[in-house]
Amino acid sequence: MNLVLLIILSLAALIVPRAFGASADALFRQGVESFRAGDYARAIEAFRDSSSLQPASGTLQNLGRAEWQRGQAGAAILAWEQALWVDPLNRAAQGNLRFARKSAQLEAPELAWHEVVSTWLPVNWWAWISGLSFWLAVAAAMLPGILRWRRAGWQQAVAALGFTVFLLSLPAQFGVHSRSRIGFVLEKNSPLRLTPTQEAQWLTRLPAGEPARFEAVRGKYVLIRTNRATGWVEKSQFGLICPVGTWPGHH
Amino acid sequence: MQAQPRIELNGPINPGAAFDPPVVRPGQQAIYRLTFYALEQSIQKPEQLKTPADLLIQPGAQGQILQMTGSSLVPLTAFNYRVRASGTGTFTMPEFVTQVYGKPVTVPAARLEVAVAPPGSALPPARVSLELSATNLFVGQPVRARVVFPSSPGFGLQALAQVQLAGKGFIVDQGAVRQQVGNVQLAGVNQMAYLYETSMTPLEAGKLTVFAQGFTTGNRFSGPIIIMGGSIPAGQPQYTLLESDPVELNARPLPREGELPGFTGAIGHLSIDPPALATNSVAVGEPVKLAVRVRSDGNLGRVVAPRAPRVDDWQVLAPTSDEAPPQFVQARGFVEFNYTLVPLTENTKATPAIPFSYFDPEASVYKDITIPPLPIEVRPGAAPSDFTVLSQSGTKGSVPAEDEPVLSGLATAPGRATSSLAPFQQSPWYLLAQLVPAAAFFALWAWDRRRRFLEQHPEIILRRRARRALLREWRAVRQAARNADAQAFAAAAVRAIRVACAPHYPADPRALVGADVLELLRGSGAPAGSADAVRRFFSLAVRHGFHRRDGIARPATRA
Repeated sequence: MNLVLLIILSLAALIVPRAFGASADALFRQGVESFRAGDYARAIEAFRDSSSLQPASGTLQNLGRAEWQRGQAGAAILAWEQALWVDPLNRAAQGNLRFARKSAQLEAPELAWHEVVSTWLPVNWWAWISGLSFWLAVAAAMLPGILRWRRAGWQQAVAALGFTVFLLSLPAQFGVHSRSRIGFVLEKNSPLRLTPTQEAQWLTRLPAGEPARFEAVRGKYVLIRTNRATGWVEKSQFGLICPVGTWPGHH
Repeated sequence: MQAQPRIELNGPINPGAAFDPPVVRPGQQAIYRLTFYALEQSIQKPEQLKTPADLLIQPGAQGQILQMTGSSLVPLTAFNYRVRASGTGTFTMPEFVTQVYGKPVTVPAARLEVAVAPPGSALPPARVSLELSATNLFVGQPVRARVVFPSSPGFGLQALAQVQLAGKGFIVDQGAVRQQVGNVQLAGVNQMAYLYETSMTPLEAGKLTVFAQGFTTGNRFSGPIIIMGGSIPAGQPQYTLLESDPVELNARPLPREGELPGFTGAIGHLSIDPPALATNSVAVGEPVKLAVRVRSDGNLGRVVAPRAPRVDDWQVLAPTSDEAPPQFVQARGFVEFNYTLVPLTENTKATPAIPFSYFDPEASVYKDITIPPLPIEVRPGAAPSDFTVLSQSGTKGSVPAEDEPVLSGLATAPGRATSSLAPFQQSPWYLLAQLVPAAAFFALWAWDRRRRFLEQHPEIILRRRARRALLREWRAVRQAARNADAQAFAAAAVRAIRVACAPHYPADPRALVGADVLELLRGSGAPAGSADAVRRFFSLAVRHGFHRRDGIARPATRA
C-alpha cells in the first residue's frame, strides 16, 4: 500500500510541474502575441502570470520590455534583474538594463566582491555545487575506510578537491543570500520617509528603478538603504529581486 | 576709474513691520511685511511668529535689494507673510526680538483692521499678478510666464527689480527675459502696466506651485525695456517687496510609448527648413557642411541637435550650433545646427538620413522630423588612413556601436527556468536534503563501528546464533509435546541442549555428546537432577537414533 502511494506521489511530482510548464508556455506565447499587437497591458499580465507559474529568464526579459513600453521603468528594471537572477548569462537582459540605466540616469546596485562572484552562475547552481562538493569530499574521506578499500592517492585528491570547491563556493552562497535582499523602487518619485508613518518627514524622493537594500519591515512600510540614504518607503513602491510571500524579518 | 560704491553695513537697522493693506475685509488677504536695513544672511528671524488667534499666517516672498543712498549702497531685506482673518476686529502682531548681525533688534508691533466695510478713503494696495500661458503641461515643456504690475492710483506706474519666480521643480530661462511698459486689460479696463516676461520649464512631474515676487523701484529700470505710451512719474523710488498669488501647475511625465528615434527632449511644435549642403560634389575624405534650421514656437535655446547614426559610407562629426545668443535665437525664430560629413567611399550617392523627432504636447504624440538625405556626388579621392580604418571596421547600416546599449527584441522562448525566484539554499528543503547523505554516512559509520566491535568479540555472534537455534528447537519441543511424540521430544530437547551449550564449547553443536554437556553442567552450578535429565534425554535420543539409523548413532556410543 505504501509502495503504491509512493509511486503515485512520484508520478504526480513528475507530471504537475510539466502541466505548469505547459501553462506557463501558453501564457508566454500569449504575452508575445499581445506585445506584438501593441497591447502592452495584456502582455504584462500574461508574462507576469507565466513567470509566477514558472519563473524563466526569457519570460522576465519580455516582462521588462512590456513594462518599459508602458513607461514603468522601475518594474522593467526589476524584471530584467530577475531575468539575470535566473540566468546571469542572458545578454539581452544585461543590455536592456544598461540601456534603461543610461536613459534614466540610474545607478546599478553596488555589489560586494562575494556578491559579484555569486553573479557568475545561476543562484541555485551554488547550492548544488556546495552540497555536492561537500558530500563528495566526505565520501572520499570516509568510504575507503568503511568499505576497506585499499588506500589510494586519488581518494585523497578527490577529498581535497571537494573541500576546496566547497570552501570556494561559500562566499558565493553568502553573496546569493545578501543579493536576495536587493530591490528596486517601482514608482517614480517615491518618497523616502524618516519614519514608517503617513505623516513622516520626507528625506528625499527616489526615482523609479533606484536600487536599495531591504533592511526591515513595519506595517505597510519597508526600511531600505540606498547608496545615499536610509529610510522607509511603502511596500507597494518597492520590489525585491526574489519576492517572497511575506516580507522577511517582519517586526 | 570708477569704484563700486561701498555697502553700508554699520548703519541703523530700522526694523519695520506693517500690514499691507492695513485694513481688509474678512477673508481678504493682506501682507505682513518685515523690513530690515541689513543683509538677508545676517538676519535670524524666529522660525514661528506669535500670531493672534483667528489670524492665519503663511510665509511668502523674501528678498534683498541694495538701494543707493548718497555715496553708498544700503541693503534692504524684506520678509512677506500672507495673512487672512476670518472674523472682524483688530489683530495685533506683537513686537518681538530677533538677531541681526549677532545683536538683538526689536521689531515693532503691527496692527491689522478687519472690517466688513473698510473706509472709502483707503487706497487699494499695490499688487502684482502672474500669468502662465499653460498650467497643464508636460515635464520639459517650456511655458511663457508674464508678471504684470499695473499702475494704481496711489503708486502710479512703477517698475519692478529683482523679479523672481519662486517655487520648486522648475527652471526659469533668464535668457528669455523681456520687460516692457504697455497697456493691459485688467477686469475689462485698459491699464498701463509694467510687464516682465520670461519662460519657465517644469523639471518634475506632479503639482508645482509658483508665485512671482519683486521690489518696486519707481522709475528705475534694470536692463532694456520697451515703453509703449503712457507716462512714468518722477521721484524717489519706494522699495517694497510685492508678490503675486501662487499659481498651480500640473506637470505630467512624457509618455514612453511611441517615442521615436532622434528624440532629444524637444517639446512643442518644431519644423525644419530644407537642409542645405555647402556643396553637392566632394571627393572621398573631403568634409562637407550640412546646415539644418529648426523652427519652434517654444524655447529655441534649449533645442538639442540629434546625433547622426553611424553608417558605413560616412563619418559624421558631432553637430554644432551657430553660437548665437539665446535672445537673438529666440528673436529670429530658428536655431541652426551644422553637421560635418566626410564621405568614406565614392559609391555613396546621398548623405545619411539623421533621425530627429519632437513631442507634440497638444496631440500627446511624438512626431518625426527626420533630416532627409540629400543627393551628392562623391568623387574618388585619397581617404585619410583613419577614415579607411573606420570604413573597414564600421558597423553595418545604422546599427549602433557595440558600447551603445540598446533595447533587445522579445525573447522567443522562456529560456532557463527555475521553480522559484527564492534561492534554493534559503528553502527548508535544502537543509532537509542535506540530512539524507548525512544520515547515510552516519549509518555507514555506525555499521562499520559495530562490525569492528563484533570482530573483536566473536562470542557475541555465537551467543546470538545459539539464541536463535534455541528458539527454533524450543518450538520443535513444544510441537512434539503437543503431538505426544516422546522420541521427537527427546531429539529436539537434545538438539536444544547442544545449541545452548555450543557458545561455551569450541566445536560445532552437532559434535557435542552427553558427556560434554554433563561436564559443562558440572562447571555451571546447575541444580541437582539436571545431569540425570540430560542422560535420560541423550539415551532416549540415542536409542531412537539407532532405531532410525540417523546421524547421532556414533556419538551415542561415546555416551
